[in-house]
Amino acid sequence: MSRLNTPIRNSLAFKVIVSTLLLSLAVGWLIGSVLNSKLSTGIKEVNLNSAFLEARSTIYSVQYQILIAQGRSGTDMTTVVKKIISGVTNLTAEKSSREVVLLRDPANMIRKYNYEMTSNLVDPTSVPQGLRERVQKGNDLNWANATLKYAGATSVPALVVGREIDLPNAGRYEMYLLFSLVDQNATLALIKSSLLLAGFALLLLILLVTWLVLRQVVRPVRDAASIASKFTRGDFSQRMEVTSKDEIATLGNAFNEMADSFEKQIARLENLSRVQQRFVSDVSHELRTPLTTLRMASGIIHTARFDFDPSVARSAELLVAQLDRFEQLLEDLLEVSRFDAEAAVLESLDFDIVKLIERSVADLATVAQEKVTSIVIFSSDHSIAIQADIRRVERIIRNLLNNALDHAEEKPIEITIVSNESDVAVGVRDYGIGLDSNSLTRVFDRFWRADPSRARTRGGSGLGLSIALEDTRLHNGELEAWGSPNKGTHFVLTLPRRAGGSIQARLINLEPKDFKG
Amino acid sequence: MTLVMVVDDDQDLAEMLGIVLTGAGIDVDLVSRGDEVLEVFRNNPPDLVLLDVMLPGLDGIEVCRLIRAESMVPIIMLSAKSDSHDVVKGLEAGADDYMVKPFRHPSELVARIRTRLRRTNADLLGLLTLGDLAIDVQAHQVSRGGKGIALTRLEFDLLVALAKEPGRVFTRDALLSEVWGYKHSTDTRLVNVHVQRLRSKVEHDSERPELIVTIRGVGYKAGVMGGS
Repeated sequence: MSRLNTPIRNSLAFKVIVSTLLLSLAVGWLIGSVLNSKLSTGIKEVNLNSAFLEARSTIYSVQYQILIAQGRSGTDMTTVVKKIISGVTNLTAEKSSREVVLLRDPANMIRKYNYEMTSNLVDPTSVPQGLRERVQKGNDLNWANATLKYAGATSVPALVVGREIDLPNAGRYEMYLLFSLVDQNATLALIKSSLLLAGFALLLLILLVTWLVLRQVVRPVRDAASIASKFTRGDFSQRMEVTSKDEIATLGNAFNEMADSFEKQIARLENLSRVQQRFVSDVSHELRTPLTTLRMASGIIHTARFDFDPSVARSAELLVAQLDRFEQLLEDLLEVSRFDAEAAVLESLDFDIVKLIERSVADLATVAQEKVTSIVIFSSDHSIAIQADIRRVERIIRNLLNNALDHAEEKPIEITIVSNESDVAVGVRDYGIGLDSNSLTRVFDRFWRADPSRARTRGGSGLGLSIALEDTRLHNGELEAWGSPNKGTHFVLTLPRRAGGSIQARLINLEPKDFKG
Repeated sequence: MTLVMVVDDDQDLAEMLGIVLTGAGIDVDLVSRGDEVLEVFRNNPPDLVLLDVMLPGLDGIEVCRLIRAESMVPIIMLSAKSDSHDVVKGLEAGADDYMVKPFRHPSELVARIRTRLRRTNADLLGLLTLGDLAIDVQAHQVSRGGKGIALTRLEFDLLVALAKEPGRVFTRDALLSEVWGYKHSTDTRLVNVHVQRLRSKVEHDSERPELIVTIRGVGYKAGVMGGS
């Protein structure tokens, strides 16, 4: 699962949700603001129209009432005007939603009467100067947005509509109606907040839907990834669950088909490998039984060879020697096939590698004598305990020694053994014909021989060094070769001292000290 | 005369083995099928059995188990496989020793047979004790509280080898040389399997042995009850 726990910002779900969020925010904001501005414009227009209608009718009715009052003589005009004005303000139910301001036109020079007044203590400066000038010039209704100021210092936004009227005996006056916009603004605010709320709810809905869709898509994808990674780790029985008939099911089916085909292929290969191993094992058994009979027979003939004619006696010797070689070849081939089938297993136990090497050298003493050479051991310690497969280590040592003996050219062979806490290294050096750089790369190849033109003096299967290399690898060790023409060769084996360990250091230099250039 | 039963399905090899053994002064009884072994064995009990692993009729390992169920006769398995798996299976079925085909020399086979037939510790007299075990070397008998314990000749030899020097730590190599007669063999599976089998017969609890104690990384020693 570790590979699935990627940072959130890399997950598909996160990417989709973020882009959905941004996109719906942009679209929602655009639609919301357009809607908001249309609605507020409309509302303002309606308000303005009704204010005009109201102002017009109010002003006409005021003029009409004044005309009627003028007809009756002896009436106090001031009282009449006040009455009319207060009547106007009382027309609507809502208090102070409409105020009246009556001002004298600055061009009116009649100072005898002053009818200037305001309703409900409205400050006369609430009427903007610009509007007054327009009203003084024109004959029709004019309007402006303004702030309705009361003497009590409270002020509200308002729409001011007004025109000039003629008052009898008092000249031209400006009459203004001030409509409070508190209600309208409250409506606009309500619309705005409703739009915001609706937008927010819509956004949540979109996110929820996205998340649900993602869950349906991403979960199967995650499952597929998890199953695929289990598959990679070797559990070939893993399959995806297919319950629907959608694209995810197609993915699942495709994956399962792939898995089936994989499993079949692997089973086929495993079967092939089993057949191969079985074949090798059978061949081994079938060959060994007649070989046993042959060896016993040749042994008896060999034991009795002194009773025979010299040529027959020599033949008996050759027979025994070649049977040895044949058997060695069979053993080596079997071992190689075991390595190829990865069927080789380590059987580690504790032993003393110095003692093992001394014994191997002692076993080869007669061969060394025949070759007119000697094997010298230089060891840093009297005994070095290691944990390894003793049969394989012995085989590595024997193969290295046999190889050295084959090419020693009557010069002594040196074995160096060095160890530290964790590793042990064994160097096998001869001063014989040596190897050139071309040969060095091939020295561990199967059936490779250093010099084909050179007559073989001893048997050997040609598999010894390659088996030694495989044995070394099985121990997590290293086997390296150095050689120089006519300077000899140097093989260095390094093994961890504990089974399952790995090499920490190179204890012996591959290139010998005596070699320069 | 010593009688050795040779069980091998390969006629030529069986004949050759016969020639070699007869030449060494040993009588030979040849059997070629696994399922015929028991009958011949009962009619004419041999001193030793040479048993091939792959046999027609009945598998060699199974035959070994059947013989061991009714006799303590020494058994040497002949195997064409040196793979540890088969060897250990044979030893666990009750074989005392095994030889991997092909053998080096006829004399090697004869030597192995003689080792298994010889009376080891013939010079040792009297009774040995190991814990609550009484070992009568001459009579080849082991008993606990007067009750006899049946051991194969090899198991007996292994027990005597350890018990005659209690407290001495034997390496596996030393035991191989002392009991099996191998000069320098490195096959410790033989020792491990037989120690295991011996323990299952003589220990009170073979999971926690007190008589035959493992010394890690070295080998085994005969422990004394109550000692460490």
